[in-house]
This record gives sequence, C-alpha cells and structure tokens, in this order.
Amino acid sequence: MTNEATPTVVAEVACPLCGHACDDLGVDTAGAALAVVANGCERARQGFARLGVISPAATPRIDGRQASLDEACAEAARILAASAQPVFGGMALDVGGARGAMELADAAGGVIDHMNNEFGWRASRVVQDGGGINTTLAEVKNRADLIVLVGTDAVSAQPRFFERCVWVQETMFDLQPASRRIVYLGAGLDTAPGHSPDGRAPDVFEFDLNRMPEALSLLNALLARQPVAGEAPLGIALARWQELAEALRAAKYSVIVWAAPAFELSQVDLNVSAIVGIVRKLNTTTRCNSLPLAGNDGDLSMGAVHIWQTGFPMRTSYASGTPQFDPVHNGIDRLLATGEADALVWISSLNDRVAPPACGVPTVVIAPPSQQLDAEPRVFIPVATPGMHHSGHFVRTDKVVTLPLRALRASSLPAAGQVAAMIAARLGEVKA
Amino acid sequence: MSVIKLTGGRVIDPANGVNDQVRDIYVRDGRIVAAPDVHEKVSAEYNIAGRIVMSGAIDMHSHIGGGKVNIAREMLPEDHRGDPVERTELTRSSCGHAAPGTLAAGYRYAEMGYTAAFEPALLPMNARQAHMEMGDTPMLDTGGYAMLGSDDLLLRMLVANEDQQTINDYVAWTLNATQTVGIKVVNPGAISAFKFNQRKLDLDEQNAYYGVTPRRIIQALSRAVHELGVPKPLHVHASNLGVPGNVDTTLGTMDAAEGLPIHLTHIQFHSYGTEGERRFSSAASRIAEAINRQKNVTADVGQILFGQTVTASGDNMVQYRNADHGSPKKSVIMDIECDAGCGVVPFRYKDQNFVNALQWAIGLEIFLMVDDPWRIFLTTDHPNGAPFTTYPHLIKLLTDRSFRNAMLDTINPDARAMSALGSLDREYSLYEIAIMTRAAPAKLIGLADRGHLAPGAAADIVVYREDADRERMFEKPELVFKDGELVVRDGRIVKVVRGNTHVVKPEFDIGIEKKIRPYFERFHSVRMSNFKIGDDELCECGGGSKLIAHACRKRG
Repeated sequence: MTNEATPTVVAEVACPLCGHACDDLGVDTAGAALAVVANGCERARQGFARLGVISPAATPRIDGRQASLDEACAEAARILAASAQPVFGGMALDVGGARGAMELADAAGGVIDHMNNEFGWRASRVVQDGGGINTTLAEVKNRADLIVLVGTDAVSAQPRFFERCVWVQETMFDLQPASRRIVYLGAGLDTAPGHSPDGRAPDVFEFDLNRMPEALSLLNALLARQPVAGEAPLGIALARWQELAEALRAAKYSVIVWAAPAFELSQVDLNVSAIVGIVRKLNTTTRCNSLPLAGNDGDLSMGAVHIWQTGFPMRTSYASGTPQFDPVHNGIDRLLATGEADALVWISSLNDRVAPPACGVPTVVIAPPSQQLDAEPRVFIPVATPGMHHSGHFVRTDKVVTLPLRALRASSLPAAGQVAAMIAARLGEVKA
Repeated sequence: MSVIKLTGGRVIDPANGVNDQVRDIYVRDGRIVAAPDVHEKVSAEYNIAGRIVMSGAIDMHSHIGGGKVNIAREMLPEDHRGDPVERTELTRSSCGHAAPGTLAAGYRYAEMGYTAAFEPALLPMNARQAHMEMGDTPMLDTGGYAMLGSDDLLLRMLVANEDQQTINDYVAWTLNATQTVGIKVVNPGAISAFKFNQRKLDLDEQNAYYGVTPRRIIQALSRAVHELGVPKPLHVHASNLGVPGNVDTTLGTMDAAEGLPIHLTHIQFHSYGTEGERRFSSAASRIAEAINRQKNVTADVGQILFGQTVTASGDNMVQYRNADHGSPKKSVIMDIECDAGCGVVPFRYKDQNFVNALQWAIGLEIFLMVDDPWRIFLTTDHPNGAPFTTYPHLIKLLTDRSFRNAMLDTINPDARAMSALGSLDREYSLYEIAIMTRAAPAKLIGLADRGHLAPGAAADIVVYREDADRERMFEKPELVFKDGELVVRDGRIVKVVRGNTHVVKPEFDIGIEKKIRPYFERFHSVRMSNFKIGDDELCECGGGSKLIAHACRKRG
C-alpha cells in the first residue's frame, strides 16, 4: 500500500500502540474512527479505530455522577491531600503525560509504577548491577547476520519486527537480508515470521520456557569453552547447542533479542544477566549486541522521564520530600495489597484495556472514555489520546529514538498531562 | 515599564574590556540598558557596593541531556542516594551527584551562578530526547552540538567523493533538523569502525569498511562548519582518548583542520606521553605550546578531580576498552542507529593512583601553560572528569598557587615527581576566570547577547561577595539574575524559570533532501519527516522554552 498524503489521509504517522513505534502509517481521518489505511498492524488498526474516536458526550464523573473538569480535579486533589501514601498506576503515557504525572506525584508525595513495571524493574536492576551491550533497530536492520530470539517471538510484543528490521529489501552493507540466520530459544513461540523470504525455516530450540536459565547457562558455558554434562541438554542434542555457540562466534554482528515480560517473573534478572554474559564474552573477539524489546504502553516514555527528572527509576517514593528509590518496597500492587497505600490515581492515555485494580481505596482514573473499569472509581476524568487527538512524544524500544506523535483530529478532551498539572495546582490550593 | 538597578558593584566584563570598575547596571524587560528613560522609575534597587559582578557563567561542554546521560542515571542509584534535592514550595525534588536528575542539575548550576550549559554530544537520532531533557532542566539556557562523523550517511558521501558543497548542505541540514548550535565529531569514524569490529583507529588509519580516515572526516567537517559560517568551530573529541602517547595524534588532529578553526575538547585526556618507567607521562607542554602557536585552535580542558564520577561518552570504542577499569565495575555500551554510539562507565579517580594523579596534574598544567584565556575553557567534561559542582574548587586551584601546591603535595609522589605543576607560578585573575567562564564561551559559540554586560545583553547577571577563598566565593553567589529576574539569593533558588534554547540555522540547498529522504526510507528505522524537529516542536520538547537562533555568516 502507498503512504501518500491525501486531503483526509495523513502520511508517515507514528504509532504509539507498541514499543516499536512504526512511523510509516497512513491514517484516514475522514470517518468517525481513525482508519489505518497504509502499513501498520492489526493492533494499530484496532487501536486507532477505538482510541481515535471523538467522544463529545464524555464528561468527568464523581461517584458516577457527571461533573465539570474543575470539580473533578478539585475532588482528586482533596483525595490526594487526605492521603498519607497515594500511589500512581497505569502510566501508559507519552512524554507529556509522564511530565504531568511526575509533577503531581512529587507534589502529592506519591509513588509511580507502570503497569508493565513488575517485569521492567527487574530488567533495570541488571543494568544497575552490571550494565550491558545493546543495539538499536536501524543497526539490526543493516548489520545483523544472526538473530537469536530468547524466549520471545518478538512479534507478540511488536508485530512488525520482522517486516521492518529483518526481512527488508536491502541493507547498507554487503549483507543480503534474506541470508540472515534466525534462531528461537524456547517452545510455544510464533516462529512463522522467522521464515526467510526464500523459504528457509528458522532454527527453533524447543524447550520449556521456564528452563531458560539452564539454556542460557549452557550457552555461556560453551562460549567459555567449559565442559558441559549430558548428551542432550534440555532434550536437544548437545551438538546443536555447540553449533549455535560456534555460529555466534563466527557471526560478524549477532543480535540477541529478549523481552522481560516473556520471561517467568522470578527469572527475569537471572535471564537478562545471562544474556549480558553471553554478549560480553562474544565481544572479546567479534561484535554481538542485545536488543531488549520494551516500550509497549509507553513504559519507556514514562520510565525515561522519571529517570531524567529525578535520577531514579520508577518505584521511587516522594513521600518524605526527597526521592527514595526502593523497587522491592514500592511496587504499587504490594503497597495496595498490604494497606500501605490509601489512594490510587490511575493515569493511562494509551492503554484502555487494562483496568485499574479494585483495591478498596479512593481511586481517581484519568483515561480515555473507552477505559475498561471493573468498578466505578470515585473520580473519572476522560482524556484525549496522544498521537491521535494531540501531539506528543513516544520513546521507542531501544531508548534512543523518540517519535513525534501527531494530532490527527481535534478532541474537546484534555490531555492526561494537562489534567495531572491541573490537579497538582489544585493540590497546592488545598494544602495552602 | 519597570527597571531594576544594581548599584555600585565592581563590574568584571572582559567582553567589553571592563576590569573591576564600579558601575551601576540597569535592567529592563530582561535586558541590560544603559540607563532608564527620564520618566521611568526604578522598581527594585540592589545595593551591591563592593560586590563583584559578572555575567552569568556558561558551561560550553557538559553532558546534561540525552540517552547516554539517562543510562548513567539509571545505572547509578548509589550515586543519587547520598545527594538528594528536597522538594520545597518552589522547587521539585530530585537527586544525583555525578549523574543528577535534570531538576537537580538546573537548580545546582543556577545556585553556582551558571545561566547556560551546552550538551556537547547530541546524537542526531536522539536529538528529541536530549532537547526534552534539557527542557526539563530549569534555570538554564541550553543548546547542543550535533554529532557527525561516524554516521553512515556522511561516510558514504565521503566514499562517493561528494563535493564539499554537498557535505556543507548535509551538515547545515543536520543543524537545522536537530535544532543545534554546533557540530561535534567523536573519535572520528571510530564509532563506525567499532561496529565493524575494529578496536582502534589512528588519525591516518582507514575505517575497515569505508576506507575513510579520521583526518579526512575532520577536514570535511571543519571546512563545512567554517564555510557555513557557523560561529562554533568544529568540536573535536580526538582519536585515541586516554591512550599513553596520544599527544602526537592530538597534534596531528590540530593540523588536520588545515588552519581552519578547530576546538579540541577535554584535551587533558589527549595530552599523554610515554616517558618514565610506567610509560605514561605529561605532554601538557607540547600541547600548550601548539595551542599558543596556532591561533585557529581552541580547547577545553576536561579537568579530572578526585572522587567518584561516571564517564558518559559517544566513544563506544574507547569506552568498551576502558570498561574493565570501571568502578563500580559495570558499563553500558551501545551501537546507535547507523548514526553514532555511546558508552557509560562509572569511574573513581584516586589521588594516590599514579595515572589518576598525573591526569589531575596534566589538566592543571594545560590551564596554566596556555597563555590566552580566550582560547582555553574551564570544563571537567561533566561528569567525565568530575561533576560540574566541582567548578568552584577548580577555580581555587587555578587562582591560588599555595592551595594548588598544597594539594600537589598530597597526591601520588611518583606522579608529583613527573609533573611540572609545582614550578608553575601562574595564578588566574578574576578577570581571566570571567573570560574563561563567560566571555570566551559566548564568543566561541556565537551567543551575541550572552557572556557580557553591555546594553542590549540579556540580563544574566551574577553578584559575588568577594572572598579570598575563591572556592567559597564561587560556590555561593549572593544574587543571580536570569533574563532579568532574580532567581537565586545567597546560593538558594528564589524563583524557578525556564531557560532558552540556542540554535543556529545556516542556509543550505533544500535539494539535499532528495538524497537524504530515500536514504532514510531504505536504511533507517524512521522517516526523514519524523527525524526533523520543527521550531514549534522544539519548544514543546523544551516544555515552552524560547528558541534563540544565532546568525551564521556564510564564508564558502
């Protein structure tokens, strides 16, 4: 399909519906729903259609009753002022939304935690413990000769990964894209996209995903030329593992793709550390990089803003007046479950499918009109969607590229960041 | 209209040749004016008799924003814990010592009398994030130098022997698209070479794939910057950073500019010889002599100071090599978007370590041996040599010989024995400090209305209580005005403001996009239209920052 602009079709639109942030969409703005008419994926088509509608009838609500934006913000401010430990969840936001949320959370003495962060903070801990060697999408597209997908098929998280980064028309260098070798580690993955355009099947190492730590230890041992026990570790002939280790050594630019949410939760740090070990070993003689897949639901946008403004990642408490980072203590599910939190603000302009937890504390929801709710919150404030109704910025999977999000059609609803700033201003009045 | 008067201060304004003269300063609408009109009333008067008055300080090289800085922040919670910034009625909470949050950085710079800082390694592909981080850095004017030289597009153009005009158009296009104020090259061509598994690249060594040498890249870029009339000379992080004996590479790099303006950054890290038992020695005198002789050369020092910091660089080749020396031992190395790279390695400089102690001495030797304070700049390459909060201490080392020599007596004795520092009597005057930290950076970058106190200048003004202890004097100014507003009193923020973003917009042939657009579509992961940052978007990135575009006078 072409991506030509017409009077109603906007070309080269960036998509905030997964961390890949494709920016080649054509979006028709003529109908009631925003229609992705060029490029994009099913998730983009559904997301633009659902979130891109205009909802003139949507109004804020207090206890289910219609209220003005001002009244709703004032009520939210009262809830925060009365709270000893408010928590901020959801956080599927663009940069502007994240900026507003940060201001509010600091003023309210809260804790911010993203809906994906139960996995995300564990991956971040590996950066804090040892670091890593990483690459970005355009490098993969032009250089990767061997791609090992560890526990993820990539496309479940980021549907156009193979289309945009792997099976491309050409690369800048001597590498033929169709000649790349694709390897999957783990069973139950959608390996169909790993077939090359000329029909070569990918190499799939099928084993229970919960045994990923063993598989990665095995690879680390083979790369370190250490002895390995057994003829068929994880039910796969040792010779295949050995051949994979040799292929990694021989590759000029191998890439190890992983996604924290694809790992068993308790194994996230272990697996990521093992991947870092593999990559570091290989770089003593050749080039190998890891490519973490993240950014879905704006988790990297929220995460980046949190880190740059205060220095600390999410799960930092602002209750004492200075930032206190403690990712184990400050998980908001834990704080809510133990009764340590006494108010919940759920802000989410990019994901309306994950409902705020029913937690029995006064709850403020700042989300699109289509937000799924298990129960009516104390305060609901409908907001517009970045990249559809208003402009914004979105941090992509590799933490390098930030895409500009466009206003494709006007909405009368405010942006999440504006609402957060209004509540913060009200909070100042309530406290004064 | 309201006019502010600063009465009776001792003004040090080197850009206008004013050295410690008692003058009144008037400010209207954020600008310095000669005197109020007859009908105007002075709405606020500050009696600053006996105080030293300078324009706001300008840090011309400080890693304050962008992906690698954010990696450093994420990596180092231990850096932040001991260094919190409290939330107050006015200010937000934040924290961090070597890799502070943007809020902490903005407040602390302002509290030290700095009113502008420039991010020297803005990766074009990461430009939005860098601008957003700088936009969230309150109090300060900001700007960035866009990194070129390992981007595959430039290397392909050099291989294709494109003419200089085409290179110029690409460079100008990059400055416009990324909204930056200068061009930097980091370990020329070597970030690309590392992606092809090269582990070192000398000035005249070829990139394994492209066959292009660092010298060729410096020639092409320094000429482009010059011919486009960009005021800021090409900002060069030379080859072989940190390598004993790299002085020859550094001198060769100066020559590569072929007489055109060239700025060598953090030159301390590039001034090493191979004398002595440990094959590591100071080559400061050769470097200083070359700078003194070659008037086209400027440099900032990149002074190291002892203690914990983190090194964050675009130079992934060198950072990968140094990762094992990291303390604590962790590192992030990245290849980035066929555009650039980065490497982040925490580092602890120790005064009893021979190499670190000699690095400290080499930096100071360069400061003291370069004659012209207009051509040597006061930096620690924040945070690579030390956090910017050490500047007052560094000023004391430069202005106070007995203090310096007392410090010299405490460092590793072998390093002390190999350094000429003890024999250098020079003490920088306040006038020279004002040159290095205000007048010269403004002149170098082309900030016509900053770095001085003449009528028409922006009212970025700092008032110091004179103190023989220059560290105490410079760490806590009495008053700081930003664009005419009082923002700091007695070293504490009294008003939070948002600074401006400085850019240049050199002219170019828009036809260059016929080359760039298809290149993006074929090889990149974003479209050209989504790479370019427009004026309105820049201001949105900056959270409402005002854009100030500085003039370029085409020379080509």
